Amino acid sequence: MGHFPRCHVEERVMRLMKRGAITVGEEATVREVAQVMVVNRIGYCVVVNEKHEVVGIISPRSILRAFGVDLDGTKAKDILLPYTITITPSSPLSEAVALMVEKRVDHLVVIADRPGSRAVYGILHGEDLVRAMARNQETKA
Amino acid sequence: MIRVCDLMHKGVLYCYPDDSAQVVADMMATNRIRSVAVVDESGEVWGSISMLDLLQLYGKELDKTQAQEIMRPYRIEVDPQWPIEKTIELMKKRRIEHVLIIDPHAGPKRPVGILTDFDIVRYMSHVELGVYEQMLKVPSD
Repeated sequence: MGHFPRCHVEERVMRLMKRGAITVGEEATVREVAQVMVVNRIGYCVVVNEKHEVVGIISPRSILRAFGVDLDGTKAKDILLPYTITITPSSPLSEAVALMVEKRVDHLVVIADRPGSRAVYGILHGEDLVRAMARNQETKA
Repeated sequence: MIRVCDLMHKGVLYCYPDDSAQVVADMMATNRIRSVAVVDESGEVWGSISMLDLLQLYGKELDKTQAQEIMRPYRIEVDPQWPIEKTIELMKKRRIEHVLIIDPHAGPKRPVGILTDFDIVRYMSHVELGVYEQMLKVPSD
């Protein structure tokens, strides 16, 4: 039986992303967003509009910046990080990591590959990338 | 008045400056944490490594990089007795997601705990952990 030459296959976002995401509406208050994060023990919250399209993402750092303002009077749309980074399931993981490091974010929202789509498809967590890095090195050793 | 010591995590996970990035990745993956302190043999803090600092090594050989090459030097000293508002303002100003807590009574530059942005979110949400879990529990009978 012949051996196939080993070729390098670039890993894609779909290998490590998690399907689905915790979302809140644009009109949710900052305190509600904080409660959603704490109860679900997550470090992000995706903000969507009435059509369930991604508007932005809120991290613990965004909530920290809102300290001192009226948490029950300020809306999610006022503190979110506008969603301008496009990542799809078929994007290379190296591209996703470069985006995370450049924009200093721990999570990336993954949207479907369909043109013009802004529906949430999943989330790529930094924790999962670190876990994959640790695992890859173990297999090499 | 809420103080830093009321919200911080007691104890810090640390590595040594000449430990490899592989050790740091393993620590983060196993303990599900986002930052690791770097201390010398005497226990004095040199710096800290966040998840994003480690992600810069994605796709590279982790064994060939030492912790001191990717760490950020630690220059901010937070006392456990500080009011939480003062610490939050410092974190906002410096744009940092975690601070190491240095207790002057434990010795110079000895970290005794860590305070992350998620701890602040928990404080701001007014959710006591465990309360929601009890509310969500379905009665057995």
